[in-house]
Amino acid sequence: VSSAVVARRRPIWIGGWLPFILPLPLTLDALANLWQGDLVGMLGSALPCILLFGGAALIRRGLAQASARPGQAAWPWRTLGAALVALGTAAAAFSAVGHSPPIALCFGLGALLGCYLCYGFDRRPRLSADKDVAAALAEAYRKLDELEAAGRRIRSPEFRERLGRIVAWGERILERIAADPEDFRRARKFLNVYLDGARQVTEKYARTHGEAGSAELEESFRALLADMEAVSEEQHQRLLDNDLVDLDVQIEVLTTRLRKEGVL
Amino acid sequence: MARFLTKAVGVLLLFATIGVVSCQAVLSEDHAVAPPAATRAAP
Repeated sequence: VSSAVVARRRPIWIGGWLPFILPLPLTLDALANLWQGDLVGMLGSALPCILLFGGAALIRRGLAQASARPGQAAWPWRTLGAALVALGTAAAAFSAVGHSPPIALCFGLGALLGCYLCYGFDRRPRLSADKDVAAALAEAYRKLDELEAAGRRIRSPEFRERLGRIVAWGERILERIAADPEDFRRARKFLNVYLDGARQVTEKYARTHGEAGSAELEESFRALLADMEAVSEEQHQRLLDNDLVDLDVQIEVLTTRLRKEGVL
Repeated sequence: MARFLTKAVGVLLLFATIGVVSCQAVLSEDHAVAPPAATRAAP
């Protein structure tokens, strides 16, 4: 299974909790100040708390995004989160503890460095050094996202599972192309024709299966998914073997079939 | 190994900054509720 797939299945509880846990005493301080009726003291602790928890939430969001598929529109959540955590730490050191501004700044910078070492900052990974290949990969990742989204609208667990496997093979193929741009030429037809066909047929089925519910349609979609899975697997193997010719013929056959189904 | 050490240093830094500041905030203040003015000793 590809690293991207593994990463997306990573349990959500692994990482990113420390910035939520460490400011808990500060929350208690804010509550204690509230208990005392000390509004200024309460605000001096509560506002840094809000910054710290907000930053922690952004860092977790960034971590979740980092394990998502490349090529998706990305916000630098981790960097923003680290900046908020640093600001919150400096503010707490100044307003809740009473440190001087330079010392508070040092605490803030220390927290920023800690966040960087623990979670890193966001970097936009380049899909490929070749501009055309990078654009084609970004487009292909978008198609995979749409295929996955269409799959989520289908109720049948069997079809969802099959589509999940097709998407996983697609990811592996794209990773392969990213690693070796020469493969782009070999997989061009797969990216341009097949992925589009797979997406369209799945979207069409997701739209209509609730209304029609015909066994014939279901059977036809099942067979098509099986073919798609086989072709994806074979495409990946061909890329590994650097073989071009046979698969193009096979994709032609599948394309004709998709045309017959009225998809293309 | 280097990755692990980097993470460990990062965790230590987070404890040394956010954790320390949080605890200092709690410890630096006397959170006892002040008695109401009426119960204080008259001058």
